Amino acid sequence: MDIKLRNISYSSGAKLLAIIIVWLGFLGTMGGCILWLDNRQAANASSYTETYSFQSTFSRTLYNTVEYYLAVPDEDNTENTAGDSASEDDNWPQVNPIDDRFPTMVNFVYYVRNTETGQWWSNLDAEETDPIGFIQKQPSTVFFNGRTSDGNIAIMEDIKGLITDRPYEVYAAVAEPLQPGDAFYDYYVDFNRSKVLSQTASTVSIISFFLMALAFIYLIYITLRRDPEEIKTQRPVRLYTDVHTLLVAIAAVLSLTIGVRTSMGIPDIVTFVFLAIVLSLDIFIGLFYVLSMAEQIKTGQIFTNSLIYKLGSVLKGFLRLAFQGKVFKVWMLILLGGYGFINGLLFILCEQSYYGFINGNFLFMVLLLIAFNAGVVYFIARSLVALPQIMEAVKEISAGNLDYPLDSAIIPVSLSAFAEDIHSLQGGLKKAVAIAVKGERMKTDLITNVSHDLKTPLTSIINYVDLLKKEKLENERAAEYVNVLEEKSDRLKQLIEDLVEASKASSGNLTITGEKVDLHELIMQACGEYEAKIQQAQLALHINTADETIAVRGDGRHMWRIAENLLSNVVKYSMPHTRVYIDIASDDGYGSFTIKNISAFPLNISPEQLTERFVRGDESRSTDGSGLGLSIAQSLTTLQGGEFQLEIDGDLFKVTTALPLWTEE
Amino acid sequence: MERLNVLICDDDTAIVDALEIYLKQEGYGVEKAYTGTQALQALSEHEIHLILLDIMMPELDGLSATIRIREDRNIPIIIISAKSEDTDKIAGLNFGADDYVTKPFNPLELMARVKSQMRRYTALGSIALKNGILKTGGLELDREGKEVRVDGEIIRLTPIEYGIVVFLMENMGHVFSIAQIYEQVWNEPSYAAENTVAVHIRRIREKIEINPREPKYLKVVWGIGYKIEKY
Repeated sequence: MDIKLRNISYSSGAKLLAIIIVWLGFLGTMGGCILWLDNRQAANASSYTETYSFQSTFSRTLYNTVEYYLAVPDEDNTENTAGDSASEDDNWPQVNPIDDRFPTMVNFVYYVRNTETGQWWSNLDAEETDPIGFIQKQPSTVFFNGRTSDGNIAIMEDIKGLITDRPYEVYAAVAEPLQPGDAFYDYYVDFNRSKVLSQTASTVSIISFFLMALAFIYLIYITLRRDPEEIKTQRPVRLYTDVHTLLVAIAAVLSLTIGVRTSMGIPDIVTFVFLAIVLSLDIFIGLFYVLSMAEQIKTGQIFTNSLIYKLGSVLKGFLRLAFQGKVFKVWMLILLGGYGFINGLLFILCEQSYYGFINGNFLFMVLLLIAFNAGVVYFIARSLVALPQIMEAVKEISAGNLDYPLDSAIIPVSLSAFAEDIHSLQGGLKKAVAIAVKGERMKTDLITNVSHDLKTPLTSIINYVDLLKKEKLENERAAEYVNVLEEKSDRLKQLIEDLVEASKASSGNLTITGEKVDLHELIMQACGEYEAKIQQAQLALHINTADETIAVRGDGRHMWRIAENLLSNVVKYSMPHTRVYIDIASDDGYGSFTIKNISAFPLNISPEQLTERFVRGDESRSTDGSGLGLSIAQSLTTLQGGEFQLEIDGDLFKVTTALPLWTEE
Repeated sequence: MERLNVLICDDDTAIVDALEIYLKQEGYGVEKAYTGTQALQALSEHEIHLILLDIMMPELDGLSATIRIREDRNIPIIIISAKSEDTDKIAGLNFGADDYVTKPFNPLELMARVKSQMRRYTALGSIALKNGILKTGGLELDREGKEVRVDGEIIRLTPIEYGIVVFLMENMGHVFSIAQIYEQVWNEPSYAAENTVAVHIRRIREKIEINPREPKYLKVVWGIGYKIEKY
């Protein structure tokens, strides 16, 4: 159910609907805004009396009225001096001219009084007993005399100027309820309509805006949820993002100009339709721009799919070609020449503009010159900064660290080709090492497998030689031959085992565990094992050790194998009746044991040769042993992170095995 | 006593024939098989008390045969194989073999192992443990009778050797350094350059182990000390 709903909500129908909602929402928002702006006076005012048109008409009417009664009558004052007892008949004819001069203001009431003479003029009903009170009751009322003014409508100062220092009082108002027939009534009706309209417009505007925002967010959301690869395959070619942005900006400016120009005139239905079309175009351009950008952010093309980037990469490619291989020198010359030329040109331009010979801004020219040189310096500095990085990488590679990373991304274009060559050199070396390791491993596997095949027949040989030995052989020589066979088959067995072990040790095809191994304990144990053989070989053993334990990090079984091989050599090759010394010591982070013995045979061979496989100190190969003992010991020591050292001084044979001291972690 | 029968299974006929001679000299009856399938068949047809089994064989290899035998039998299985890697030995023992001998083996050592397994198999449950007896595998220490036995056979030990065995047996599975053993057994502080303990241990191993270089009971933990394995 959930999945089904989700599918529906991501369908193209939903997307289309959302687009339509955005479109209509935008039109609603904009239309509402325009309507609201049109009626903003009504929207801001709480009453029609606050509107500008009302107030200006009121002021104008009042001015005309006052001017009529005060300015004009002043000239023929004599006519009105009898106003004290003025009858209605006297007053009425004087009212009429206003009606002639202005459209009838049926809702406008006034009362003008001369405080000195008591003469008054008004258009109120004669029956009105309290004209001043009636006027002051109205919501829009004005009173002023020569000194002060009062009322709730702002009136023009020049009206007040008319009666300054003159003994007049003016009361005026728009009487409510308003009767149809004059401008005030029209304002009143207009205001009420505008008020409703502006409220509706703002409501429509806000609702439309929220709908649009929701639909818009939805569209962005489903865009960002899409699979980047799917987007890419769907839209393999796109407008460059920067070009797109520029076009959208142009369209926006254009439509804004058109919109402002059009809406300046009197609004009519044609204008509205035209504006709606322009705005619709705008919203579609804008929406597809935003969605396209969102998609490209998702696919990570927002920067790469821009004209500036493309041009940059083309330029980079050119520069790269320039710094590559054979054309390097030529390009360097061209670049140097180009630099000098442009610099000279800019300098001349600076000079010329300074003296005003050519039409140009001197400051701008200087800035251009500085910018150009700064750019060149930046380019060169980047190359120089990157150079030590490459040098470091080469150093590491030559030291054997083939995994040293050379980040070609941060190497500037001038050195990137060089850096890449080093990178591929590194790759080649790595490959070679991998092949060598693989070869070594294959060799070990081969030796192991061959040894399996050798062991089976050897088992039979050993068994039958033993059986033969148990037979009662008449012939004495035959018994002797059987002894030889037994000895040689044992030797063969030893050889095969050592061969497998040596190949494993030298190829590192062994598991090593880092244990705490006490060298003193190890040597004691080993000497305990070899005690009988040492006595048999007529040797005297001397062990020198510090009392404290010397713990090293190593693998106990491998350590025993090393000690065993070395002691077995001692027993086999030492001169009888000599002393064998074993020194256990610790020094400089290493714990070591050194075995010294006197060789029974002259050692006319180098230590290096001794540890080579199948090389033995004595020239005869008749004694037992495979000659692999030292090689195995050396390989095992190295594998455990230690150092193995052989010294030959005349007949003195000295071998030191050092391993890193144990440290608690 | 009825005759004990050993089944030899190896694809190399020469080895099978040689082993037959040795086993017959020891007084065992012998059945021969050359593949894993033949071994299973011989096992169902004859009464067998012990199997010598090669790993690399046609049809059914030794490890698979071991698994099949272990489904319903608990007779001793000794694997004899040219594969000498630690991983091979561990696999063989884990699949149910009782012992693992690498080729080329010493025939006398193999016979000793056969006898050891046979004694353990036939004497199973027949010896009631007395008080004061410590036992690990076939190794027994009778503190009252002051005797050490391996697979029922009394081992002659010197007083010092006996003391070491008692100390290690009483703390079976724990590793002790040369100095610790010296202080416990000799009852006096040890000297640094003293390898007497190591020599004694080697001699004990030569007496109680079938192959002192690959001890089953008294094990050397190189660079750390010695222990008697707990089975």
